[in-house]
Amino acid sequence: MNVLIVIPAYNEQDAIAHTLTTLAFLGPEYEVVVVNDGSGDETEHVVEKYQAEHPTQKVHLVNLPRNRGIGAAVQTGYLFAFQKERFEYVIQFDGDGQHDSTAIEGLVKACQERNLDLCVGSRFLEGGLDNFRSTATRRLGIRFFAALISWLSGVKVTDPTSGFRCCGPRAWRVFAESYPDDYPEPEALYWCARNHLKIGEIPVRMFERVGGVSSIKLTRGLYYMLKVTLAILIDRIRTREKEQ
Amino acid sequence: MIHTIMIALVQTDLVKLNAESMMLIGSAIAFLVTLKWVRSREMREKYAVLWLAVGTLLLFCGLFPKTLMRFADQAQLSYPSAVLFVALAIIYMFSLSVSLSLSRQHRITTRLLQEIAILKYDLEKLREQSKPQSDAESV
Repeated sequence: MNVLIVIPAYNEQDAIAHTLTTLAFLGPEYEVVVVNDGSGDETEHVVEKYQAEHPTQKVHLVNLPRNRGIGAAVQTGYLFAFQKERFEYVIQFDGDGQHDSTAIEGLVKACQERNLDLCVGSRFLEGGLDNFRSTATRRLGIRFFAALISWLSGVKVTDPTSGFRCCGPRAWRVFAESYPDDYPEPEALYWCARNHLKIGEIPVRMFERVGGVSSIKLTRGLYYMLKVTLAILIDRIRTREKEQ
Repeated sequence: MIHTIMIALVQTDLVKLNAESMMLIGSAIAFLVTLKWVRSREMREKYAVLWLAVGTLLLFCGLFPKTLMRFADQAQLSYPSAVLFVALAIIYMFSLSVSLSLSRQHRITTRLLQEIAILKYDLEKLREQSKPQSDAESV
């Protein structure tokens, strides 16, 4: 069983090497693809240097010629998995050092044992941790999306904005074809729920980012809420995948 | 700049700012801007034809206001409402088509960039694999 870890990276020169180091303990069945999303800094060279210094760790680097946003970067990883045809699970993992690499095997195990198509690493399940980061406003936003998705799909989720997730083939093969552009996590999660894919969560810890800046700035918070809510509501009136 | 020129024209009483003159100015702007963008290849001829048609329509309405009045009478609209109705309908249609076109182009460009990125990765891998072989051949 091969697993691909997709790391979207935009201007992550300060954090990416540290993030890759935290993944070094994983077995040879785990491969990493860093999708450099048209970074203007030294991200590409930092990853190349890391590859040269760690030849035994399977780290691939795919450079998008222009910055296309988080959704396109993550989708490039899914497309990579699709074209290489050797992966069963694809994990989405942030490049800024916030995600806990020791939870990766747990995510895959949960997918296998519970036969899940999508397993999300949740900060808000018992045993999860996110004390340092989320402001009250952000938590309110997360609760809103959790309630909206649960209400519309009947699937209970606690952390719909978490970008730490493991996808089974039924999910990532579709994501390779079509994936939301920006702020993709809640929308992709809702798509899975609506199309009767099996979704689960496990508790995870999240750390303070090592470098870079968050892709969601405070001023864009309102746009984020409106855009994602609209996207989810529109997805609600789309034809289900199997019915097409 | 266009705004400044318009204000200057109105202040000097060279142009009486009524619906006809506004349409004439609008058509002139539509023609100038469209030609400028087509010339610099920022706008495709396909869209330029449509915008020039809009400019022509505005010019026609500005030069022959009675035609628009006749249309307004037949459609039971007052004159300003008719102008506004036609203008808004045109703008709405074009904005929609532009949004559609942009969305389609965005999807295509993204997929092309992704394919290029993965192809470059594959090419690099092939180069690495063939390097020791070609080195050995040269020895």
